[in-house]
Amino acid sequence: MKSSVNWGSWADGRRGQMSLIVVLLLLCAGSLRCQDLLVQAKRIVVAADTVLDDGMLLVRQGKIAYVGNEIPADARGRAMVVDYGNAVIVPGFVLAQSTLGQDADLGEGALAFTPDLRVAEAFDRWQEELTPLPRHGVTSVALSASPRNVAGGIAALVKPGKDGGTIADHELHLSLSLAQVARNPERQPTSLMGAMDLLRTTFAAARTGTKTGPDAAVLAQVLRGSRRLFVHADTYTELSAALDLAKEFALEPVLVGAGEAEKVLPRLLQQKASVVLGTLLPDARLQQLRLPATLAQAGVPFCFGGSPDQLRLSAVLAVVHGLDRKTALQALTRLPALLLAQQATIGSLRQACAADFLVFSGDPLDLSSAHVATWVDGVRVHGEGGKATAVPAAAAVSTTTNTLGGQ
Amino acid sequence: MRHRSPSTFVSSCLLVLAAEFAVAQEPAPAPSEPAKPPEAAAAEATQRANEQVVVIEAGTVHPVAGPAIANGVVVTRGERIVAVGKKGEVEIPKDAVVHSFPTGHVYPGLVDAATDAYTDPALRQGNLDAGAALALDLHLRHSRDDELVQAGITTAYVAVRSQGAIGRGPAPLPVPLPFPLPELQGTPQDASAQGAAPSGIMRGQGAIVRPRHEGFELWEKRERAAVQVRMTNGPGPTHALQRQQQLEAASASFEGLEEFRKARTDHEEALKKYDKEFADYLAWHQKKKDAEKAGAKPAEATAPAPSGTGPATPPAGERPRRGNRGGTGGGGGGGGGNEPPKEEPKMNGAASDEQFEQALATLLEILAQDPVKQDPPKQDPPKPADAPTQGPPAPATEKKDEAPKRPTYPKAPARDPQREALLAVIDGELPLRVEAHRPDELRFALRMQAQRSIPVLVLEQAYGAMSVAADIARQGASVVLTDVLPNSLPKPYDTFDVTALPAQLHAAGVQFAIATGSARRARLLPLMAAAAIGRGLDAEAALRAITLTPAEILGVAKDTGSLQSGKLADVLVRDRDLFQSDSRTLLVIAKGRTEFEAK
Repeated sequence: MKSSVNWGSWADGRRGQMSLIVVLLLLCAGSLRCQDLLVQAKRIVVAADTVLDDGMLLVRQGKIAYVGNEIPADARGRAMVVDYGNAVIVPGFVLAQSTLGQDADLGEGALAFTPDLRVAEAFDRWQEELTPLPRHGVTSVALSASPRNVAGGIAALVKPGKDGGTIADHELHLSLSLAQVARNPERQPTSLMGAMDLLRTTFAAARTGTKTGPDAAVLAQVLRGSRRLFVHADTYTELSAALDLAKEFALEPVLVGAGEAEKVLPRLLQQKASVVLGTLLPDARLQQLRLPATLAQAGVPFCFGGSPDQLRLSAVLAVVHGLDRKTALQALTRLPALLLAQQATIGSLRQACAADFLVFSGDPLDLSSAHVATWVDGVRVHGEGGKATAVPAAAAVSTTTNTLGGQ
Repeated sequence: MRHRSPSTFVSSCLLVLAAEFAVAQEPAPAPSEPAKPPEAAAAEATQRANEQVVVIEAGTVHPVAGPAIANGVVVTRGERIVAVGKKGEVEIPKDAVVHSFPTGHVYPGLVDAATDAYTDPALRQGNLDAGAALALDLHLRHSRDDELVQAGITTAYVAVRSQGAIGRGPAPLPVPLPFPLPELQGTPQDASAQGAAPSGIMRGQGAIVRPRHEGFELWEKRERAAVQVRMTNGPGPTHALQRQQQLEAASASFEGLEEFRKARTDHEEALKKYDKEFADYLAWHQKKKDAEKAGAKPAEATAPAPSGTGPATPPAGERPRRGNRGGTGGGGGGGGGNEPPKEEPKMNGAASDEQFEQALATLLEILAQDPVKQDPPKQDPPKPADAPTQGPPAPATEKKDEAPKRPTYPKAPARDPQREALLAVIDGELPLRVEAHRPDELRFALRMQAQRSIPVLVLEQAYGAMSVAADIARQGASVVLTDVLPNSLPKPYDTFDVTALPAQLHAAGVQFAIATGSARRARLLPLMAAAAIGRGLDAEAALRAITLTPAEILGVAKDTGSLQSGKLADVLVRDRDLFQSDSRTLLVIAKGRTEFEAK
């Protein structure tokens, strides 16, 4: 059947046909996205509750197209096979909160209350802090406003890549801060009660509609529940203040840091709060190291945060001190995606999720397992490529020609 | 026996009666329980424990000295392992206590080659003399000290890692002790004799301990296990030339050791000579006493003169305080002319304190019994004008020209515990453990080892060892690595890949151990070894790095570090492979005693 598009007059001619094939090959030569990838490994952790032994994933245009037995036979036949042998594949780690060392540009120094500022507008895709993220297994980061401001601004979802970072979502949660660093003697508020008064006043005004403007609009979104609220709070006093504020305005906050969370456990449960923990250090107090296990036992949702280069070690330390492996892996992947409201795209390897995955020689929560590779959006950005088996060139060409001829 | 005074006889009788009375007052033991002194009961209990046979059966036994054994058993009797092998192939006594762990893994007790457990945190900032033994001030201090045994660590080397920078400052003082021990503690003037040496370089002497439940015990004869030296300023910003100057100053601590050794050797020889001369001196007086007893005139036979002496003119200030009041020139002390000693420096050699006291008592006895027979005191001839005087002028006393001159006690060289410790290092009696981080610091330490001919060198931390691995292997130094965790080092050390270092050292043939460095990280010792596996070290070498190899570095491999017959019963049982993050300790046996058992 002759095509009705402009290409049809060219396709009839032999010279046109050859030119078309050459052009298409050139377009596909530099990008794997044109070709499906069939990723195989001894064990694929699609999600914490879905594990495939001798599993396969079909990656198409940077996303998970099919998983396991759902992969159509013809797709298997066309795809480039990437075989990781006895390795274990898990979803890429999601870092739920970080400034990536850009505190200065991600926090307005002169004003304490700037909820409408957007981190995405200060994002530098070439910043060097993005480069090591794949090496640490981090495939997505919620780039957040600095905790130096009482109301810092709106976070953005950022992903590292071979050609610089990209913003996957410009509008994530609102970041507030009741932490010590937000109390600046050079501007108001200078105290915790001053910060609480500021927040209470502004949220009340947003609720009643007496306050207008872009900052009030952001607060109104939070009050409606269409935007999540992350609050930096470490000590018992700060956590209590954050929970008081949340209770007053019927919010379900995500508490960042929460070093003394065990002191407010009942309230965390009661108010359906979640926690983003800071970096777990090897020399931390035992209470700190056991906090993840304590939260898990109490049923409080939490994820690991802090420094990207310590993310895996934080989870391992938590396991050493009593946290079960399944919860630990969830706290690196699925849970932070949920807290960021990005569970449809990241945090697991389900169909339609981004092809963000990590390859380990064994269980990622054992330090004896080597980190083999990191893939982001279907592109390998770190490590080894596995045993790749390309589809024969002739088959690829005929497939392409057939596709075009059929139009 | 000479007749004693009546009062003495009565006193003796009273003492005997009192003793009999005291014995009669002791309660009679209950007929059902024969009386045993506490010491005997404890000894009996110990002996029972020593004979107790304990068998540990597990899914996998990892002897370290050989391949892993599936369905293995470890048999211990008392403090020692008596057999290791496959279940069914090892004879098990009928009365054995059996611990069975069908899915468990059995390992030797872990050996931590560097920890700060039981030490005083204040020592991390201060200065320590190389002769200061940390063992004298170890206590169960921190809440995390107790974790060592729970983590399965049954042997540990304890030292203090300084956090301060090396710098010019006051000379290091000895560690302040809770009680005086003259034989171990240096005197302030000894410390000041070291001059204005850089502070913070010497870090005392570490000790090998055996962690126990709620405590620890010192490894016998290993209370002074190594001399600690710090040759790094840490990660703080420093210029390479400044570091070089400081390192040179550290090496200068080894200057003057041979002179010190010679002074010590000369003193020992002088002491031997003194002992002989003093023995001759006593013998002469004993002979004289015997002669007087027999009624003969005091012996006028030639007395052996002190060898090598003419008219004795002892150097000023060197005669002991119990010196000769009868005069300073001419002959030695006459009969009874000397005062009883007030202070007696410790004597080596044949003439012991007891002998001297006995001889002196005899002399005084003789004088007390028959004072009339003594010669009247004679005036000594006037001394030459340039002869040094000794103390206040003494009254004229009787002195025999024939009496041998009392020998002069040789002056001891000033005590210097630091130099003594460094001499022990040079002589190979103590290892030298050097904390060095950067490649230039490590190279300097190796150069110092070669120049000073230091037999045993252990490099601690050694983050930059990769670039000098070949040199380390060539010189036979060992390495104790700490902080073997991903991305655990601060800037600028973050350029060093510590987790990859064990595999690199292993490939280069360097003997290395992995250690925690801190009591707070006791639980993380297997994790560190696991991190090394993740970066290419094979599992066997990783296990060896936290068991047998540190035992070899500490010099206790004969007794611990692997599961072998004859070694101490140091056993660790885990519920799964040691290198899995969720591996838990089920049982820890140290020297045959159960120190930890999971509930």
